[in-house]
Amino acid sequence: MLEVRGLQKRFGSREVLRGIDVSVRPGELTVVLGANGSGKSTLLRCAIRLLEPDDGSVALCGTDLLGVRGDALRQARRRAAMVFQSVLLVRRRSALENVAFGALGELPLRQSFSTRLFPNEIRARSLESLARVGLADRAGQRAATLSGGQAQRVAIARALCQQASVILADEPVASLDPKAADAVLSLLADVARNERLGVLVVLHQPELARRYADRLIGFLDGRIAFDRAPHAVDDAEIEMLYGDDDDER
Amino acid sequence: MTSADVAVAAPGRSWLRSLRWLVGAGALVALYVHAWGDAKVAPLEFFRSFHNLVRIVQHMVPPDWGVLRSSIHAAILTFDTALLGTTAAFALSLLLTPLAARNITPHRTLYEASRALMGFLRTVPLWVSGLLFLVVVGPNAFAGVLALTFETVGVLAKLYAEAVEEMDMGPVDALRVSGAGRTQVFLHAVLPSVAPTFLGLVIYRMDSNVRAALVLSAFGAGGLGFQIFNSIELFQWAQLGTELLVLLVLVLLVERVSIIARARIS
Repeated sequence: MLEVRGLQKRFGSREVLRGIDVSVRPGELTVVLGANGSGKSTLLRCAIRLLEPDDGSVALCGTDLLGVRGDALRQARRRAAMVFQSVLLVRRRSALENVAFGALGELPLRQSFSTRLFPNEIRARSLESLARVGLADRAGQRAATLSGGQAQRVAIARALCQQASVILADEPVASLDPKAADAVLSLLADVARNERLGVLVVLHQPELARRYADRLIGFLDGRIAFDRAPHAVDDAEIEMLYGDDDDER
Repeated sequence: MTSADVAVAAPGRSWLRSLRWLVGAGALVALYVHAWGDAKVAPLEFFRSFHNLVRIVQHMVPPDWGVLRSSIHAAILTFDTALLGTTAAFALSLLLTPLAARNITPHRTLYEASRALMGFLRTVPLWVSGLLFLVVVGPNAFAGVLALTFETVGVLAKLYAEAVEEMDMGPVDALRVSGAGRTQVFLHAVLPSVAPTFLGLVIYRMDSNVRAALVLSAFGAGGLGFQIFNSIELFQWAQLGTELLVLLVLVLLVERVSIIARARIS
């Protein structure tokens, strides 16, 4: 459902992506591992066109994402949701409102001036999504007062409310304690399997990746080093990704 | 360059530097001498005629309470002028900000155009636009409202745009990716993040606009400033005493409320 082919991106003279092929399939949690600066986050941002890639193609649910503009791009993007490293909730709005924002793309402007104007169907869906991530009791709480793990789960609920087919998560557990990190990843794996979503997660923790991933992708210097089921990847291969720059980590 | 060259060159350079310093200092002194003469500054004259000021103050006491009612009405009119001008400017600034903030503007041309418009509105001094609007709409407080609106839009929209440019773009990206349109992103990601800043700025602006409205009313735009101007022209010092007291209460009151409101918000 997300097909990335031959993606290339350079910043100035630095080649960050040198021809990347990635497919994200429904019902699968794919984890991208790699050192800092290996281009993982750039891949995610190019795949949703927050960054313009220099070459290659991105097909999201059958739409050529690089070939559309304006409203068409807006509509195409609705099929994907992003969960970022720093939690990207609107801090001064409640958890439930943040979840409902996932549905903004399908609302006409006149219904979107205030969350009070949102149709009942969307309110119900937001509450349902929030319950799905186990936070129904936090609906009225301001996003700023949620813990890191709760906030990431709200972000996932927003993706569910958006009825996205693909979730892209950029280091969603980077600033979480081990228990919260576990909860977030098992939730992502769970929605992938039960909701038949394609989930692509950039991670820094190989042991978490092994535990939850259906597929592991290794990033090394803007290229893909391996793309296999976790049991077919041995530890030495993962070590190699982080080989040269221990001091950076 | 060898070390010998440096030794020879260094004294020459330091000589040049002190010359430059002397010329600069001389120019600065000349500037002040000119300004002093130009402004006809005469400290002695101030002290010699100080008794005039003392006499005026003596005449202000006791104040003429006969004008208390009209002064309060005029003070309220001044406040109303500031309130309407600030509110109109607030609404217009909210419309301009999405165009004038570099990180969310729909197009570079719109960004440049809105910035140019705001720059122009800030350049025209308040009393100039005030006098112009007095001619255009006639001598009443509405002229003051218009003048205040235009100047405040220039200032407020610029500050708002800068606040938006400094905000965390995370929520904006998140909503944009989820397929939300520009207006939706502005309403639900940008506004909630900057709302406290926006409100704090507009309240602060209200506070200074009350003082600006006083000056405008002295030009004939109706309000307390106009009464004060008349009392001075007609040497009605006892009336002036009352009017200054009302003025003091108005300014202090607005300032106080503004401080409390801004503390509440943050």
